[in-house]
Amino acid sequence: MSGAFRKIDIDIYDEDVLHEEELYTADPRDPAEVVAAAKQKQGTVRSALSRSDIPGALSIALDSVPYGPNVDDAKLITLQVLLTIMNSTKSTDIPNVLKALSPEEQDTLMKYLYKGMATSGNDVSGSVLLDWHEKLTEVAGLGCIVRTMTDRRTV
Amino acid sequence: MAPQVFPLSQTPITAHSFNADRSQVAVSFNSHEAQIFSWSGSQWTLNATLTEHDKPITSIDWAPASNRIVTASQDRNAYVWQETQDPETGSLIWKPTLVLLRINRAATHVRWSPKEDKFAVASGARAIAVCSFDPENNWWVSKLLKKPIRSTVLCVDWHPNNVLLAAGTADMKARVFSAYIKEVDAKPAPSVWGSKLPFNTLCGEYTSPAGGWVHAVAFSPSGDVLAFASHDSSMTIVYPGGTMYNIKMTSLPLVTLTWTSEQSIVAAGHDCQPYVAPKSASARPGVPGKLNKSAAFATFQSADSRGQSSIAASSDTKLLTIHQNTITSVRPYEEQGGVVTKVTTSGADGRLIIWDTNDVSALATKLATLSV
Repeated sequence: MSGAFRKIDIDIYDEDVLHEEELYTADPRDPAEVVAAAKQKQGTVRSALSRSDIPGALSIALDSVPYGPNVDDAKLITLQVLLTIMNSTKSTDIPNVLKALSPEEQDTLMKYLYKGMATSGNDVSGSVLLDWHEKLTEVAGLGCIVRTMTDRRTV
Repeated sequence: MAPQVFPLSQTPITAHSFNADRSQVAVSFNSHEAQIFSWSGSQWTLNATLTEHDKPITSIDWAPASNRIVTASQDRNAYVWQETQDPETGSLIWKPTLVLLRINRAATHVRWSPKEDKFAVASGARAIAVCSFDPENNWWVSKLLKKPIRSTVLCVDWHPNNVLLAAGTADMKARVFSAYIKEVDAKPAPSVWGSKLPFNTLCGEYTSPAGGWVHAVAFSPSGDVLAFASHDSSMTIVYPGGTMYNIKMTSLPLVTLTWTSEQSIVAAGHDCQPYVAPKSASARPGVPGKLNKSAAFATFQSADSRGQSSIAASSDTKLLTIHQNTITSVRPYEEQGGVVTKVTTSGADGRLIIWDTNDVSALATKLATLSV
């Protein structure tokens, strides 16, 4: 007896099914444009870090982050950029840096902290991420974490 | 004035609604029955039990003028209850009338319209059933608002003109529809939401930047402003044709809200305490404050009354807020000069609490307002 019918994805035949893309406003930029912007950010952040300008570097990195489908490369580049910034910041400087961020930047940073924690790799330091997470929660509260979980614009 | 606390039961209160003079309250304890409690001068005593539903009741609304109760349940039905005299005993009993909603999923929320000639039932069937009374056949008929709702409707609120209806849905949007029923309504006057409004016209569709299911939606007393609370821990205030302000909270999401005046909103949710969001002079929302004794005061009070030191209290499982669990519903209780001075909240801890809306303590944390 053929059980092939059990493997059919019936949702593709349903006209009324709710798609993930309908739940958020899509990024109007072209994927290639997004990758280019991410690479450019990498350069600008590097120069900011060489001047020891952590707040400036963070603002640049957290501005217009890539989200949605088809931009995975850009997402990884942005994550690397942020991890570099976080690794270069002294633990005692973190609270001041965080207070200078706008709420949108704080929410975006929280998304990257969780993304960093989800990535396995030698350059991802768990203790650094957890330190930032603790300080960011003190400033932005539980609402920031809830927004990371609710926001469909996944980084 | 300190909040008045009434622990009605150990089970969560899913919905509550007072009658016109606040002498009775209809509640549902997460079950298929609704209970009516009467105020006996010092406490709430059980007066009547309304049993008709097969599944848990999700929402109750008591019409103040016509004294009718509507209950909506997960069993896809709604009942309208009317107080009549029992022919045998002569006492007043609540007689139910079934309303055929024609939905194939649970009903989630129900509200009477301002004139109490219609009521709207939000459902998981991606539709809102707007019900009006058909005197010819002596029953309630429902008309469904469907397009463009894409997921469960979680909450509804009527505009003062009895025609416009706001709805919050699980597809992250808050919408304003026209629920104009030809047989019942007179043509509404043009408002900021639009002028020609046949049934199911979409007058506005709004979403918070970070998305999130819209748990609660409400029109301001004038009807010109819409506020909604969504699961991304934010509250959004919409001026149609103008700006939309999004207040990001540092707390857990809010699930219920009500306007206390044209300038102020009381909202509550998973943080177990009500918040008051005032409007500052420039029409931008101000910093929300908490409607509660501050946490420090509560610790001091417990140390004083129970001889506990603060170290012992920190290991206590009791929350520092008065409600010990999520607040499920906030309703206006008392009004003075057009401003709501008292609100009631019911929670998943089985408590009903009456709050004084002037008793606000400032929130120390920085909060932001975003102009979209």
